[in-house]
Amino acid sequence: MDPTLVITIVTAVVFGLLIAYALLVKKMNIGDDFNTMTWVLIPVAIAINLVIGQVVLVLKLPVFLDSIGTVLVGAICGPWAGALTGALSNIIAGIVIDPGWFPWFPVAAAIGFIAGLCANAGLFKNWWKVAITGFLIALGAILVGTPIAVYLFGGITASGSSFITAFLLQTGQDLVNAVLSTNFLVEPIDKISTALLSFAIVQGLSKRFLARFPRPENVEVEEGASRTQLFIAIAAVVILVLIAAFVLVNFLG
Amino acid sequence: MPERLSFYVKRESILHRLNPLSKLSIVFAFIFLSFLSPFRWLAPALAIPVITLSFVGNVQRQFLNIALKLILPAVLFMFVMQSIFLPGGETVLFAIWIFDVTLETVEKAFITVSRIFVMISAFAILLLTTHPSELMSDLTRRGLPGQFAYVIISTLQIIPQMQAKAQTIIAAQRSRGLDTESSFKKRVGALVPLVGPLVFGSLVEVEERAIAIEARGFTSTRTKTSLYEIPDTIFDKTLRWSLVLLVIIAIVSRIWLS
Repeated sequence: MDPTLVITIVTAVVFGLLIAYALLVKKMNIGDDFNTMTWVLIPVAIAINLVIGQVVLVLKLPVFLDSIGTVLVGAICGPWAGALTGALSNIIAGIVIDPGWFPWFPVAAAIGFIAGLCANAGLFKNWWKVAITGFLIALGAILVGTPIAVYLFGGITASGSSFITAFLLQTGQDLVNAVLSTNFLVEPIDKISTALLSFAIVQGLSKRFLARFPRPENVEVEEGASRTQLFIAIAAVVILVLIAAFVLVNFLG
Repeated sequence: MPERLSFYVKRESILHRLNPLSKLSIVFAFIFLSFLSPFRWLAPALAIPVITLSFVGNVQRQFLNIALKLILPAVLFMFVMQSIFLPGGETVLFAIWIFDVTLETVEKAFITVSRIFVMISAFAILLLTTHPSELMSDLTRRGLPGQFAYVIISTLQIIPQMQAKAQTIIAAQRSRGLDTESSFKKRVGALVPLVGPLVFGSLVEVEERAIAIEARGFTSTRTKTSLYEIPDTIFDKTLRWSLVLLVIIAIVSRIWLS
């Protein structure tokens, strides 16, 4: 079976379930995400994205971590606010750093939107749930980023991970598969650490401060998670690992 | 990251006087034409009008600077990588180690790369000749919610402040003996003491700012008046509609010819 097809179907099912569950738990009107605090938080979040991206460059770490602010807004304000933060973040980066950031704005928007969805679905309440959020964010970023990389940039972009793509192309894979598997190697680590760092930041904020944003209940920490939840989580992690392993074996083997 | 708010250069030129929306339409016309036209070689050809535009706007030196520092390195890297590694093609030009460089892949890479060049250069010229707040107030006048303008403009003001703060924090933590250069584990560990103060420091200001702009009628739904008039001439309108027409022709002829 064609791995690209499998991956698309699996991802679509995962996101379908996520959206259905999030809708079940919470209404998602665009207006609900925005109050004055949201509008003031967004510029700060964008600045956090860009400046932390810079600090990471100073530390020479092998990740980007340039969407911490986006995930933060998605979690405490909601998916639409997160998507807006992501999109504007890339537009601002295009204005101040390098116009080459513009074409990637849908990826950043997807990151914020999925972070918001996961938070609405109750996946931003303790560290392992946040790790799952991070994985789902990575999945979304891959799904949106791959077509942009392939159809706009011809598959090999100006980023360093292109060397992996080039290597995979030489092993005889077609272009879409090569780009997909490159992203699968790069994105999850980056996005899971991004989600965990945003979670750590939220934990450091006072309840009184968080209460002024539209969705403070999304980030309330659960004390002593119930046993059933833990089992569900373990099952989810096992399934995710299996999917990842299946995909990787399919791509690399 | 440079210590400036945007790429904008203040000059006197036709391009500077043009309505911001017209300039935005020019950018999108370039992008659509280079990506969607039925003639592949239009994309490299479009590089000439883009470069001419930088002379029209009297920003050719700044444009050259951006092109040399930001656009060309990325574009050349992509061109070389794609020519060597993309599979396919029959006419072998030459071989590097085990890789055959074929005429077809070189051609394909050249066209992809010139599209990217046209796209990013067009954006760069827009940014060089249009002040962000001018663009935002024009778009707001045309119905974009004012909150968007607030977000863009205030972000541009916050970023330099925050960069300064980040520099201070890095210097302060280093002077306390924080290790930011040695082993991987130490550098990961250094992330928290650097990021923590930066993020919490800036989030504390959020609440005060919210109260301040609330007091200035931020959420008011009344139409707001602007201090600056941004000209929108008949020439602007004609230009915009002819660009739209041009893009439609390109798309229709592509569907027609395929």
